[in-house]
Amino acid sequence: MNIQAPIKTELTFADYKSDLKPVWCPGCGDYSVLSAITKALATLQLPRENTALISGIGCSSRIPAYTSVYGFHTIHGRALPVATGLKTARPDLTVLVAGGDGDGFSIGGNHFLHACRRNVDLTYIVMDNSVYGMTKGQASPTTESDWTGSKLTPEGPGVAEFQPLEIALSAGANFIARGFSGKPNELVKLICEGINHPGFSLIHVLSPCITFRPEQREYKSMVHDGFGGFGFDDGTPDRREAFRRLMEDDGYSCGVLFKGNTPAFKAATATPATLADMERKFAL
Amino acid sequence: MTGFKDMTGVPEFLAHAITLEQEAAVRFDELADMLEVHNNHKGVVELFRKMAHFSRLHLAEAKDMAEGIAVPKLAPWEFKWPGEESPESGAIEDAHYLMTPHHALSLALASETRGFDFYQSLADKAADADVRRMAQEFADEEADHVATLKEWLGRYPTPDAAWAEDMDPPVSVD
Amino acid sequence: MALNSVSIALTGSGGAGVMTSGQVLVDAAAKAGWYGLMARSLGPQIRGGESAALLRLSPSPVQSMDDCYDLMLAVDWGNIERFASEIPLTSKSIIITDPEQGDVPAIMLAKNPIIVPIPLKEIAASVPQGRVNMVALGIVAALAGVPEEFCIEVLAAALKKKGPEALETSIAAMRAGAAHADKVQGVPKLDAAVKTDKERWSITGNEATGLGVLRGGVRYVAAYPITPATEVLEYMAPQLPKLGGCLVQAEDELASINMVIGGSFGGVPAMTSTSGPGLALMTEAIGLAVASETPLVVVNVQRGGPSTGIPTKSEQSDLNIAVYGLHGDAPHIVTAPTSIADCLFTAQWTVYLAEAMQAPAILLSDQAMGQARAIIDRPADVAFIGQRLTPAMTNGAIDEGYLRYKVTADGVSPMAIPGMKGGEYTADGLEHSPRGTPSTQAQHHQEQLDKRERKITGFDYGNHWAEIEGEGEIAVVTWGSVTEQVREGIARVAEAGGPKVKLISLRLIAPALPEKMAAALAGVSKVLVVEQCHGKQFTKYLKASYGLPPVVQTLNRPGPLAIRPYEVVAALDALAAASA
Repeated sequence: MNIQAPIKTELTFADYKSDLKPVWCPGCGDYSVLSAITKALATLQLPRENTALISGIGCSSRIPAYTSVYGFHTIHGRALPVATGLKTARPDLTVLVAGGDGDGFSIGGNHFLHACRRNVDLTYIVMDNSVYGMTKGQASPTTESDWTGSKLTPEGPGVAEFQPLEIALSAGANFIARGFSGKPNELVKLICEGINHPGFSLIHVLSPCITFRPEQREYKSMVHDGFGGFGFDDGTPDRREAFRRLMEDDGYSCGVLFKGNTPAFKAATATPATLADMERKFAL
Repeated sequence: MTGFKDMTGVPEFLAHAITLEQEAAVRFDELADMLEVHNNHKGVVELFRKMAHFSRLHLAEAKDMAEGIAVPKLAPWEFKWPGEESPESGAIEDAHYLMTPHHALSLALASETRGFDFYQSLADKAADADVRRMAQEFADEEADHVATLKEWLGRYPTPDAAWAEDMDPPVSVD
Repeated sequence: MALNSVSIALTGSGGAGVMTSGQVLVDAAAKAGWYGLMARSLGPQIRGGESAALLRLSPSPVQSMDDCYDLMLAVDWGNIERFASEIPLTSKSIIITDPEQGDVPAIMLAKNPIIVPIPLKEIAASVPQGRVNMVALGIVAALAGVPEEFCIEVLAAALKKKGPEALETSIAAMRAGAAHADKVQGVPKLDAAVKTDKERWSITGNEATGLGVLRGGVRYVAAYPITPATEVLEYMAPQLPKLGGCLVQAEDELASINMVIGGSFGGVPAMTSTSGPGLALMTEAIGLAVASETPLVVVNVQRGGPSTGIPTKSEQSDLNIAVYGLHGDAPHIVTAPTSIADCLFTAQWTVYLAEAMQAPAILLSDQAMGQARAIIDRPADVAFIGQRLTPAMTNGAIDEGYLRYKVTADGVSPMAIPGMKGGEYTADGLEHSPRGTPSTQAQHHQEQLDKRERKITGFDYGNHWAEIEGEGEIAVVTWGSVTEQVREGIARVAEAGGPKVKLISLRLIAPALPEKMAAALAGVSKVLVVEQCHGKQFTKYLKASYGLPPVVQTLNRPGPLAIRPYEVVAALDALAAASA
């Protein structure tokens, strides 16, 4: 019998999908984001066993089980700290984080700020549909203040919208981009860039909720390339310029906004020692 | 967003054909899966499975043609699709949990028509003669599918305007 | 009194430096061959404020507080009313006071102690740059019989960075103080130190806990500071990189516990340390660790509660939240060290348990032992190293058909670690099928609940679940840092010819092990429960979980007042007299 070296075959995007059928409503934007993530993993040919996708709670947070990489569907709002723990304990892994606007910006808001400033090498994909879908359509932090579609806030939430990109930029995220689920191949590019860029990358994805926000079907006519009139690829390393572009952003600009140069977080290292060495400190 | 983009030659054309069919197959399976989970009309699921199956047959054909040809490896955003996605990937946003066979056929017809348009414009306008010849073969097959789907669609008239009405409220899940 | 020892309280406020004096004294006594314990009583102030170094020195190993103090030296009387009750005195107690600081406050005179005025400040002023706390050290060391050479040795090490001049000044002040020691009579003399070759350590409970979890294999720590647990984390921070691990400071306790879950999911044994308020924030995530079967250790150094409570003072009132705080049916492990020295063993063992059972473990230490320093014999090495069951690999990949949450006989399922090919799965806090797929099916819920319970209750904890000593019809059941005072109380009863008393100090709080407890309580007709808790949480837990003899009495008190050995003796006397 001939013993052959294993043939290294290319993985296709379908290889990064699991056989589980999503619970998402037919027509949901999150299907396209799933497709984009799997295409990005295939484009980069990341070994499935060395890749992890961590999520919180919500419609979009169901995504890890629909992929064939290591996943963790954690608790509401805590995807970022779990991912931070995984990446800092296992820097050899590629760690992606996914979730929705409520999970990331409301209950997980503090972690979002600190993930941006800690700058651990993570890629955070937020599927933003400005609504809590899993609990039947309440206002989220990114919901318009006058949206009256929820029984919980019949007069509208009456609160200014959370600005994910402005906050990420202020807090120190090293890569900031916005994509649209209806442009999945552009989204693949953004995700690939985010993964390749060192430090914390935010990919803000407009992903329509066709059940509770059917008007979001119009996103496809509202999105446009580039921040502040710049082309799709024009991420700037200059924070001042990035802020300027954000001030002109109508919320539907797509592409890379900011590519910073801050080195990714690295845990302290030290000259190796043994436990016996450490115990000597206590000896009289 | 639907401008014609020529191919550099047969290898690039085949890269597109293979990806188009593969993505179409996966997408139709996704559509079938999502409607299976959401208890839609059985016929819709079956139709999408059938479409996925046809796409896989085409994929096999395209791969056969690519035998011995160094097909370039393109990143998803490097493809020269006329639109945002490969043309035969059924539009996810057109899916609906109450969609009827009529809607499913319309969705499938739209994707096959986009596929036909893609191949036909290459057959008409490509600079490379081999590309034109191959594209015409694919376009002819797509034309058959388009005709078949149109015929099937004739059997499923447009449902009444209330097709998407649901007396029950949505469910709270998490 | 059974144990030859001397108890000393050094008090002062506003940067008087009594903690340093106490530390030097206990370390010098240790170098002289004695054993000792130094606890601290602190006020809420960051700098200054009232503080007391509470020492007990003995030729025998000692980790418990005595009934009262033989000697109290007050550098000043600032805020004494806030902690006078923590320094019990008798008519034989001696108070050294500086007349310049005014009269001894009435609150200290209740027991009519012996007052010896010594002009501490004046003596310090007689030495250029002389400090009062060094004068105090000189007096107290001389009275306790700690040879000067050892004090100088310890001071030299402590003042190394400040240079030889600082050392000379301190020695001069110390000697100036020692010259006044003969004004004081009646301080108990310590027996000569017994010479041994045994290695001895000077270590705090929090350091011992940190070392224990490192020994157990923890290599990832996420940290958020909180009194009185911070020292565990501070001890580990510089050690972890030397062992190839790391510590990351989190933005809050919600983050720290979830980071620990992430690190452990990555295959690295992980822990965090906190106190009551932090544990309360962590409970949701600990439930995630239960459901996703992610091993981790949370060290909870208890303080006075509820809410922010009394952060600097000890209490044993987090038992309920540790045992019952998780929502849903969430079997997990709760352990508790029985002494400062035992922090080392219990911490190491707890890591082992968590890893073996793929479950979260909460270790309940407390401020009294966490922040106290003891001179102990070097604890024996133990073999408990965390070992997680992982799936079998063939040709570099996990065999096909791998199921992360497979239902197994002992409830433990092999856990694939990222990097293992073929093991890719999604861990989930949603109820799930054996594969990990979210499920709402009754059968999946039942079998996963069963397996998660089975692995905890069916585990072989050996005889480490409790420290059991002696035999008798009366048993004291206790836990945590009060164990040492209970042990001393039982010894005194025995010495006085009282009834035989058995000690059962639980190291494993949860799960309850009814069979083992039944065996331990065989022949016992009366039980005294001792706990530092106003609401008798431990007593109620014991009654709910175990079959106890008909007569059960409780000696309990909230923090910060320690339960003293004489109170244990009195409670045992009362129990012995109680009719069955």
